[in-house]
Amino acid sequence: MIKHRKNRWWICGLLWVASAIFSLPLVVMISGSLKSSEELARNPYGLVPESWSWNNYLDSLQSMPFTIYLTNTILLCVGCVVGTTLSCALVAYGLSRVPWRGRGLAFGLVVATMLLPWHITMIPRFVLISEIGLYNSLWAIILPTFLGEAFFIFLLRQFFMTIPEQLLEAGRIDGLSHWGLFWNIVIPLSKPALATVGLFQFVQTWNDFGGPLLYLNDPQKFPLAYGLERFVSSYSDQTHLLLAAAVLFTLPVIILFFLAQKTFIQGISTTGIKG
Amino acid sequence: MFTGLLFCSPWMIGFLLLFVWPFVASLYWSLCRFDLINRPRWVGLDNYLRLVSEIGTDQGFGLALSNTVYYAALSVPLSVVIGVLLATLLSAKVRGQSVYRTLVFLPSVIPVVAASILWLWLLDPNDGLINYGLSWIGMDSQNWLNQSRSAFSGESVGVLSGWISGEPLRLFGSKDALVLMTVWGVGNFVVIYLAAISDIPNALYEAAEMDGASSIRKFWHITIPMLSPVIFFNLVMGLIRSVQTFTSVYVLSEGTGQPGGSLMMLSLQLFLSAFNDFEMGYASAMSWILFVVLLIATIVLFRTSRYWVHYRVAA
Repeated sequence: MIKHRKNRWWICGLLWVASAIFSLPLVVMISGSLKSSEELARNPYGLVPESWSWNNYLDSLQSMPFTIYLTNTILLCVGCVVGTTLSCALVAYGLSRVPWRGRGLAFGLVVATMLLPWHITMIPRFVLISEIGLYNSLWAIILPTFLGEAFFIFLLRQFFMTIPEQLLEAGRIDGLSHWGLFWNIVIPLSKPALATVGLFQFVQTWNDFGGPLLYLNDPQKFPLAYGLERFVSSYSDQTHLLLAAAVLFTLPVIILFFLAQKTFIQGISTTGIKG
Repeated sequence: MFTGLLFCSPWMIGFLLLFVWPFVASLYWSLCRFDLINRPRWVGLDNYLRLVSEIGTDQGFGLALSNTVYYAALSVPLSVVIGVLLATLLSAKVRGQSVYRTLVFLPSVIPVVAASILWLWLLDPNDGLINYGLSWIGMDSQNWLNQSRSAFSGESVGVLSGWISGEPLRLFGSKDALVLMTVWGVGNFVVIYLAAISDIPNALYEAAEMDGASSIRKFWHITIPMLSPVIFFNLVMGLIRSVQTFTSVYVLSEGTGQPGGSLMMLSLQLFLSAFNDFEMGYASAMSWILFVVLLIATIVLFRTSRYWVHYRVAA
């Protein structure tokens, strides 16, 4: 929007300062995670470590039951991604491609639930999960995703609406039922949208702290996000190990972000949700 | 009809089990004494009266409410202002634009638990990066997470007068630190503003340039009005999000809301009342007050929006 040539230099300057301020914490986190504890205390913010202590990463992995945490995180992510994409695709199809009375109302209710804060439902959901015997089980977190998630239903519905009616009509002439149309036409055409939903759900589950805090109490069941928080209190004097663990935990998300940057950005700008 | 219901059945079940029933149960429990083990016992409005009596005091609900209001009042407007300014800058067509965009956006992708660990270190009062940066521009080092007093509080007057007589100026406390960390993660709002800026028709800027408008006038009279619907959306979302802030305060204070209860936000207070003190009735009543307050705030925002939000008439 700002076009005059003479303005260029101060805009570049401001951009440079702003992006330096925003990325500096990340840069010092990475360089800090590669310093020995002695160097970190003496020179915490030198950008290049004097000696690269790669074994910080190994040490941080060994100071917590990393494989257990990682396995639990992966189980949770796989379960939640499968649950969300499956249930949300079904519901979105029902809300976009099957005409039925009350569909508009149902869609309105889906949108309304997006705006409700989690506070009110937290305690009853906890009671419900405990009553059906899922307390301290990973299913406590996975199972609800099989019942749909408003944001993703919304996202997929908008996408399904753009599929040309002629394609579905052709399928109907070939004798496909709604079930057949859904699996053979809508799902194959919606792979990018489904990938967006899967990606967002993956990141959400990977980062989730509240769910495990509420539903899990056996360290054998902890995922990384929760295990990492427990690590903070017991290793508060070992900053180099904490930083290494934080970098390791962040790395998969960053890699995914760079691999699917467009999807991330589009997902956020169309729905306003945080990944 | 039947097929449609069948496809929607996962959501219908979820809606009944995870929304409708919880709302009814929570409303009932908010009128009871309930500790999860014994059956809920009806106590009428006792929980609500207790909550109301705590408003204005510096304990329980009153403390959490004032903490949350302080945090929201500072972080929401700051996120909007900084977000819009950054997006405007990042929309300039300069070389390396996509690199700048990525660098500003990246912090908002960092998992909250990891970001909190990082900030615990950056905010260290003795050798933290933030204080190091402040000393560069000639400011005294701040106590950040070790200080319960916030910058914008009555007691800061005393600190300022002490500063005039030569004492170090230690204004910022734990809630200001939390605001700082929140603003660092403003990237996903920036993305939304950027998308909206790219939708502004270029003809508007060209017409303004023809009339000799400066960059600042163009920003103020074209960019801001055209962005106002998105600013409004982000204000509402930011408000809801700030009131729900939980993970960062939990990690920063190790689940205690310390120092001096200054990080005891409503969500944390609610969680601790429910799952540390097992006062489900009291916590449920708190969640309802919170819900009503948020609802009123949102409605007020919607009401004022007609005076400043400019909706484009569809062409």
